[in-house]
Amino acid sequence: MLLLDYQNVLIQSVLTERFSGAPPVSIDQTVSDFDGVIFHISTPETKTKIQVSIQIRCFQDLLRYGAKEVLNREYGPYVVPPEPGFDFSILVDLENLPAEQEARDELVKKISLLKRNAMAAPFEQAYQEHYHLKQEAAKFTTEEAPQGVREGGEVKAIHYREEEAIYVKASHDRVTVIFSTIFREETDRVFGKVFIQEFVDARRRAIQNAPQVLFRNDPPLELQGVPGVKNTGTGEIGYVTFVLFPRHLTPQRMPDVISHIQTFRDYFHYHIKASKAYIHSRMRRRTADFLQVLRRARPDNEEKERKTASGRTFKVGA
Amino acid sequence: MANQTPAVVMDNGTGFSKLGFAGNDSPSFVFPTAIATKGGAGAGGSGSGRPAVANKPSFLTGGAGPTGHLSAKRGTEDLDFFIGDEAISAASGPGYGLHYPIRHGQIENWDHMERFWSNSIFKYLRVEPEDHYFLLTEPPLNPPENRENTAEIFFESFNCAGLYIAVQAVLALAASWTSSKVTDRSLTGTVIDSGDGVTHVIPVAEGYVIGSSIKSIPIAGRDITYFVQSLLRDRGEPDSSLKTAQEIKEEYCYVCPDIVNEFSKYDRDRSRFLKHVVTQPGGRQVSIDVGYERFLAPEIFFNPEIYSSDFLTPLPVVVDSVIQSSPIDVRRGLYKNIVLSGGSTLYKDFGRRLQRDIKHLVDARIRQSEVRSGGAKSGGLEVQVITHKRQRHGPWFGGSLLGQTPEFRSYCHTKAEYQEYGPGIVRRFALLGGPGGS
Repeated sequence: MLLLDYQNVLIQSVLTERFSGAPPVSIDQTVSDFDGVIFHISTPETKTKIQVSIQIRCFQDLLRYGAKEVLNREYGPYVVPPEPGFDFSILVDLENLPAEQEARDELVKKISLLKRNAMAAPFEQAYQEHYHLKQEAAKFTTEEAPQGVREGGEVKAIHYREEEAIYVKASHDRVTVIFSTIFREETDRVFGKVFIQEFVDARRRAIQNAPQVLFRNDPPLELQGVPGVKNTGTGEIGYVTFVLFPRHLTPQRMPDVISHIQTFRDYFHYHIKASKAYIHSRMRRRTADFLQVLRRARPDNEEKERKTASGRTFKVGA
Repeated sequence: MANQTPAVVMDNGTGFSKLGFAGNDSPSFVFPTAIATKGGAGAGGSGSGRPAVANKPSFLTGGAGPTGHLSAKRGTEDLDFFIGDEAISAASGPGYGLHYPIRHGQIENWDHMERFWSNSIFKYLRVEPEDHYFLLTEPPLNPPENRENTAEIFFESFNCAGLYIAVQAVLALAASWTSSKVTDRSLTGTVIDSGDGVTHVIPVAEGYVIGSSIKSIPIAGRDITYFVQSLLRDRGEPDSSLKTAQEIKEEYCYVCPDIVNEFSKYDRDRSRFLKHVVTQPGGRQVSIDVGYERFLAPEIFFNPEIYSSDFLTPLPVVVDSVIQSSPIDVRRGLYKNIVLSGGSTLYKDFGRRLQRDIKHLVDARIRQSEVRSGGAKSGGLEVQVITHKRQRHGPWFGGSLLGQTPEFRSYCHTKAEYQEYGPGIVRRFALLGGPGGS
């Protein structure tokens, strides 16, 4: 398992089971996903009506960048007013499902991608902006491009965790995605650095068409003047910048690129933990080997004092 | 941070792991505690049967495994594994070997368990462990070293926010609070935990397991399946595979009050004999008669001599002797609150039969002592076996119940505390849900 899935496995399995024609039962489950996202699957009215609600920390940010349109596009007929305490809800009626199996699977897949689709909105907007700017920029040479075109669009900030955020900025020849990451653990920070170095080096070594990755400990130039970006100077916060080139920005590649880049943080943390597990297993193996060496070093025939049945001993040979 | 994220409840048993979030009424995932890794069964991480004893430090031989070239060094073979149902299906193909990291309720292979956990957290539950508190379970009499190892993995590998390790039997008691028969939420009682491999009778007083009185019985779900299978074979049924036997066990079996009466009832009323239809691989359908095994199979708990020749003590007698060997001041509470847990206690009327049989034993003993004392009257003793709806995943449900209480987090040990005191901190946990709690 190298990559993480984009969809929520639990929602997928629950819905697949329900859609398969099993007798309806009442469901009331709270499910968590990465980045503090909470889902609530329930059957509020009747057993055949399944409601899936989502609560995202940064929903206000997402709304600003067009989440509403994206979600309406994806879930159009299923959208219902959000459940109290949640940001967005959809309702599926089991008696009103698409007839074909493929269409049902498609729907299950779509619902389990709820989080991904909600988070995709700013990226999609950035893509659109990029296409627009590209057209604009084609009209000018580099020198005489007017202000707005050369700099690119504004920086979209998604505060998806309490202390971490994604910044997306579109310009006419690229889309820049910046993650701010924070590590509370000293060891994690070290592992993280090694990992990011690998990302940075990937282009140099083999994979020519990977996006360019930069890593630094102070806010990159793109983020200058963006509210909420602090330069702590302690090196606790790292900024990972992905530069997506027009190669990655074709409309065909868009869904994949967006999914990939969203899971970056989870992927990153997952692999830090997996490497720790790997190192631990090597440590255990080595301890076992050392113990074996110690056991082998023990002499076989240690002289034991021999006793008679009554408990007396003999002095032999002395 | 993470103020409202639900706690993660994980109950890793010998056969199955139950994973989910606190507050839900059933585990989100139930799958076999199995992991399939590259390279045949019994292997460690890499290839060969036993991890090669490196005679040089590994930085001299070039790092990972037997092949020292660069591709191996940059490899990701440690990530090439599956867990749960995927592991079972991967192991049926070539290249993967299946392992069960937990034996007899205790973790045997920490390498596999660590990877099993990491995969269940990231792939199935999809949570960032730093944001969540974790409630894990352990079998009674788990050595404290195992707890420490678990804490090491959870705090150092996963950086989890907080950890609580609870004893399965105590959680099973907590799960019984949903039953209408339970009036006071006490953590005193006898837990009968019968899973697939072994049945335990565990007395718990005020949330603490009375370790010296635990008894286990080598009869559990698997034995019932074998017994059903042997009955099918004796009759020469067209299909007597283990799977069929298991289906029959789960669908048709129940506990009868008295075998002799039940036999004559069956002989009088032919409608009690049922047919079970099995679809064999290849699409052929065979019909199988289901008869006396409907009540005979669970009967091996009460009359083990019909199945086994070396273990002959019936379950009610074991329960009684467990309680009799416990401290005298808690015995009344133990008799009053006998809680069932695990899949093999789900037979219809299992609890009622058990209660009746234990009551008989207790009453007989009281009468005897009344006679011996010469005229003294006993006030009687209440025996109550509690059956409830959450029996199957009892420990998990108990964990879910306790994990959602507002004070749960204050009972956990946090990462900061762990770093302050070291792994030894998890040797003791404040009692969750005990006196002073909810």
